[in-house]
Amino acid sequence: MTFRNKAAIVGIGQTEFSKDSGRSTLHMALEVILQALDDAGLKPNDVDGVVKMSANNDIFEIDLLRSLSLSNLRFFHEIPHGGGAACGTIAGAVAAVASGMADVVITFRSLNERSERRFGQSNVGGGVGGWGQYMMPHGLVTPAQWVAMFGRRYLHEHGHTTEVFGRVSVLCRKHAATNPHAMMYERPITLEDHQISRWITEPLRLFDCCLDTDGACAAIVVSAEKAKQLRGNPAYIVAAAQGTGSRTEMMTSYQRKSLVRLEEAEGTAKELYRAAEMEPKDIDVAEIYDHFTPMVLMALEAYGFAELGQAPQLFLEGRLELDGDMPMNTHGGHLGEGYLHGFGHIIEGVRQIRGTAVNQVEDVKTCLVTSGTGVPTSAIILAKEAS
Amino acid sequence: MAEFPRPYPQPDRDTTPFWEAQNQHELNFQKCTGCQTVRYPVGPLCPECHSFDFEWITSSGRGRIYSYTVVRHQTHPAFAPPYTVLLVEMEEGPRIVAQLQAPEDAPFDIDTPVHIEWEDYPNQSLPVFVPDQ
Repeated sequence: MTFRNKAAIVGIGQTEFSKDSGRSTLHMALEVILQALDDAGLKPNDVDGVVKMSANNDIFEIDLLRSLSLSNLRFFHEIPHGGGAACGTIAGAVAAVASGMADVVITFRSLNERSERRFGQSNVGGGVGGWGQYMMPHGLVTPAQWVAMFGRRYLHEHGHTTEVFGRVSVLCRKHAATNPHAMMYERPITLEDHQISRWITEPLRLFDCCLDTDGACAAIVVSAEKAKQLRGNPAYIVAAAQGTGSRTEMMTSYQRKSLVRLEEAEGTAKELYRAAEMEPKDIDVAEIYDHFTPMVLMALEAYGFAELGQAPQLFLEGRLELDGDMPMNTHGGHLGEGYLHGFGHIIEGVRQIRGTAVNQVEDVKTCLVTSGTGVPTSAIILAKEAS
Repeated sequence: MAEFPRPYPQPDRDTTPFWEAQNQHELNFQKCTGCQTVRYPVGPLCPECHSFDFEWITSSGRGRIYSYTVVRHQTHPAFAPPYTVLLVEMEEGPRIVAQLQAPEDAPFDIDTPVHIEWEDYPNQSLPVFVPDQ
């Protein structure tokens, strides 16, 4: 049994992306939720479900409920594991509307990640418990540093140089350069720019790391049946899946047999394609979670677009460009548009399906959106038609 | 300005013996008495056979560099770059995160054999790794 095409995203909302939003994350969340409801032709009163991400989240659900007067909720869930949760919120919403546990479900992400708490900076002091006790005391304190260990293995095992990381960044910045919403609008980079950008934590340079962003995004999920009654232009959710791997830690699953395979993404991909009754070749556009460039290469391999170690070839052959056979990160991704913990990728996926993206790809029928890797993750496939 | 102290492990009911051993300059691992699997990080249950029974074994302190990063950009007030953090695959199997202790021009890479040494901090002794000569 699957929920194939049983649900759709019918409304989206998005603030500007900036270095300082000038307002609270609650304020921005409310803005984008109202925008998304309006986009769908719905009212706050229609909402009976909320699925949110849990990590580093200062939106207290209770404030959100009170502010929107959501007094008739039937379904409220929270998805763990940081950026791995983004498409997981959609998966939760699909399960709710397809099973009848809710009719109209809000999903969202709101972050003042640049002006308030920057994930790339740490001042953790005193005693550290949990998984951090094995990392923090040794000076391995940020996501870039955790990911660097995987990146080093990728270069070592496949015999690549850091140019393969650079091409990911160059592509995302190219797409961001023509996206007025992007923080890096009109600021493309060359491979040389990447190679001379300063080291953050070897083998990662500045341009291998996603941007720090203030902003918010929201998406409204309803059943496919209800979507037909609404005025909007639905993006049908062909499939939504979550996945885990072996010996999982929070971005430091260093005990795994291989550090160059994203087991959780492989598991997610397997379930996603099964439920969608699709194969990688059926994907027209891919919005791949790009917190750090090495993880994009490994994700492309995990989702079946290249053999292990071969993802760099996709960039060399131009296959991920806007005129390639599967354009990737058409909005510029986290490396170029801004870092909204994977939610910008969902919004862009919907726009590509609707045909309203600024970097619109011609004749898009399907779009893959993936979420954070190095943690338990998730992904969705969107489609224009519920066939 | 006072020096910002390093974060230190906050032992819990599962990890206290692990950190107490490190204060005695011993790197200990749990070994499942059911299936003999050596596990790390510390936890109450064997992920292989789901047995709660284990004994502590002491590592030889020897391993090889499995991966590493040279931190060039300061992200935490207690850690001034540059410094190198290693992921060392120990002879017993687990991979341990700890800093490299070596002269600045000392050669090292993935697969370089290393051995453990200890640094004592106010709240906790921590391992570092030194390339074998």
